[in-house]
Amino acid sequence: MTLYDKIMTLYSSLTEQDFLTVITLQNDSDGKGDYIAKWEHPTLPRPTDEELA
Amino acid sequence: MASIITATTSSGLTQQADNSGVLQLASGTGNLVTVPSVTGTAMVSGNMPAFSAYQTSGTSVSNGTFTKIALQAEEFDTANCFDSTTNYRFTPNVAGYYQINGCVNISTASQGLLASIYKNGSEYKRGVWFGNASSIGNQSIVSSIVYFNGSTDYVELYIYQNQGGTYNTNSGSNITYFNGCMIRGA
Repeated sequence: MTLYDKIMTLYSSLTEQDFLTVITLQNDSDGKGDYIAKWEHPTLPRPTDEELA
Repeated sequence: MASIITATTSSGLTQQADNSGVLQLASGTGNLVTVPSVTGTAMVSGNMPAFSAYQTSGTSVSNGTFTKIALQAEEFDTANCFDSTTNYRFTPNVAGYYQINGCVNISTASQGLLASIYKNGSEYKRGVWFGNASSIGNQSIVSSIVYFNGSTDYVELYIYQNQGGTYNTNSGSNITYFNGCMIRGA
């Protein structure tokens, strides 16, 4: 399951637009995988590492 | 007026000086170059970096995730400023303004994709959103003028796609590429 899928499982109300504006998932192609580069959602809190494990 | 250095067809090289602070280079038929009285560095083609890099092996891109494109090959890199082995980034060694262009491609596109220029690790300019399904591949381009300080500033090419799964970008010098050149000194 990708980071995107895990976040959508937690917050199914998120839209594609959210991931192009207030949330940025990023992968720098350095072998470290996907990560949350920006989380500025006005109501939903940033998921914890435990929730994304 | 201007101080003028002329290559004549009769007397060879001649010089005519004044105190305008403007320099002109001329040939037997007229003025060729005027260097105005301003601060800064006059650029010539030999010290204006240019590069063109492309992808030879596809990058895996998760749904909804901005992913850096690995560009493993170069068509040219006049000042050795593009890193095609580790960080896949352009770090020019001359301060100034550069025209930067990028293009990305994924075959299976039921939703959309876009190319994006990242500067110093953060998104800088977003390109065209391509959203039509096409079996031959969907492609997005991004183009912008970027200022570089000539030492630490760098740019990278990223892609975003929301097709519902993880897909590889398509490779090729004509398909997924990143290029740029200096257009004005600092």
